[in-house]
Amino acid sequence: MSTKQPTSQSDILETPAERRQVALARLIQVLGASGLALVILGTISVVLLRGLVPHQRIVEALESAETLWILLTSLALGIVAVATGFGRFKRMPTKTSRERAIAGGVLGIQALILAAALLAFREAGDPERFVFHFFNFGVLEGYLGLFAWAAVNTLILAFVGQVGGMIIGMMLAFLTLSKRKAVRAPARVYINFFRGTPLIWQLITFYFGFALGLGIRPEIDLGPVAFGPAYTAAMIVFVLNTGAYSSEVFRAGIQSIERGQMEAARSLGMSYPQAMRYAIIPQAVRRVIPPLLNEFVILIKDTSLVVVLGLASSEYELFTLAREGYSDSFNATFFTAAAAGYLVVTLPLIRAVNVVEKRLRSGLVTVAA
Amino acid sequence: MNGGSLLRLEGVHKWFGENHVLRGIDLEIVPQEVLAVIGPSGSGKSTLLRTMNLLEEPNEGRVWFEDTELTDVRTNLNKVRTHLGIVFQAFNLFPHKTAVQNITLALHKVLGLGNEEAGERAMQELRHVGMEHKANEYPGRLSGGQQQRVAIARALAMRPKVMLFDEVTSALDPELIQEVLDVMKRLAEEGMTMVVVTHEMGFAREAANKMVFMDEGQIVEKGDPRAMFDRPGNERLRKFLSRIL
Repeated sequence: MSTKQPTSQSDILETPAERRQVALARLIQVLGASGLALVILGTISVVLLRGLVPHQRIVEALESAETLWILLTSLALGIVAVATGFGRFKRMPTKTSRERAIAGGVLGIQALILAAALLAFREAGDPERFVFHFFNFGVLEGYLGLFAWAAVNTLILAFVGQVGGMIIGMMLAFLTLSKRKAVRAPARVYINFFRGTPLIWQLITFYFGFALGLGIRPEIDLGPVAFGPAYTAAMIVFVLNTGAYSSEVFRAGIQSIERGQMEAARSLGMSYPQAMRYAIIPQAVRRVIPPLLNEFVILIKDTSLVVVLGLASSEYELFTLAREGYSDSFNATFFTAAAAGYLVVTLPLIRAVNVVEKRLRSGLVTVAA
Repeated sequence: MNGGSLLRLEGVHKWFGENHVLRGIDLEIVPQEVLAVIGPSGSGKSTLLRTMNLLEEPNEGRVWFEDTELTDVRTNLNKVRTHLGIVFQAFNLFPHKTAVQNITLALHKVLGLGNEEAGERAMQELRHVGMEHKANEYPGRLSGGQQQRVAIARALAMRPKVMLFDEVTSALDPELIQEVLDVMKRLAEEGMTMVVVTHEMGFAREAANKMVFMDEGQIVEKGDPRAMFDRPGNERLRKFLSRIL
């Protein structure tokens, strides 16, 4: 036996048996990955090659022999990857090859599940009916421009709500941080009320309640852009509601700054507002960016609740437009389109949250050192 | 009224809830005095120091700085605090500002100095503590000892009449303690009035010209540091010294 020192993974492997194991691990990973790629990309390609409109093309693609072969192949690849990956990973000589074998097995499971589900759907389900209702893109004809406008309206509602809410939230946060109960109490009542009642209740009560009970019909007319009463009421409610939530974010952010920072600032002769402004807030702002972005994502989706208020047709946001489309056609493809619209807006934001969080985390390491 | 003292405490009591932390402290600090405060942990040393610039508000008793009573609600504490520099165990530098910005911030916003004057004074104090070469570094990139020296420079830049040190070496790795103690010794030699809460008995013995020993919220003994180390009169002080020396 040689005196092999397992110092690094790049060690040259000594026996042919070990080298064979490493090659096998690579193969398992490729098998799993290609199984998964085949079931996803293969199926999509078959569908796209035949075209999406009319919907019968999609059905034909799903029921075609090509699809059957693709699914069966993926299923086979998945099974082989799972069996060999999980059967062999313990015997792998290096850490890298062990991880490769496991990755192959895991990808194999995913390929297997997807392929099996699609096969079952194809053989036992009713692709014709399902595709007709959810992927009947023909019914969207003439609606694409409307969907773009609806996405803009969704963003306007969410953006106004978020920006206005942050202003209110910042002010509320200062109130809740006061050492005086008389100052804190009204802020807490406000926050607890808006956090404790459903947004849909707030929308309906504010709009119908105030309009009918008090005769208030809020409207904003900026000349070229005008917002009707329902739209304006919705914006106001989103601002009030987001104010309550973001005040908690700001408060937590400010409270997360070590007490010593305030003490250092005050002991240098700064007043409380100066210490807040120059020492505490600049640090807190960095920490609240991710949760505020998360709130924005939530608000984007919650704007769909204005569907209950009866917007003018030029004011439709994504969900209201989808509901109207559905009422006209009794086809749920409109909801599929709305989901796509929300995802187009929210996915980049979700990604941004992750990036900012990662950067902050690495930044904070040096701060804490 | 104050008889030439810079800081004076009269019958100061402090409770944290049920915990009676300071039990009637009387203390006077005169100009150029370097007062070391020693005692077991939990004896109220830090709390005592923090009442001196009213970071902790006494529940009873009075605190004077020169002719100003800090415990009078009408006193503008922000103004008095510019004369009372304090350095903390945890440094408490502003992490979003560079070393020099940490110093100039209060010079601008509190003393109202212009850019040039503030910058000059900051660099002068950084030189004072041997940190001018790190002026543009952020605290996160400095060692503990370096951060603490910047914190000292930040306090000095306000040109305080008294410097308060709250266990400023306790959070430091052993090899970094000396560089901070050296800066403090030089300050003492320059005639700065200092109150130093410390576990560094060597520093208390060599650099301080007066010492108090605290136990259970009271000043048990006070006097000349060397005399107290060599001939501890009080039983509790003797026990404390025998445990740590």
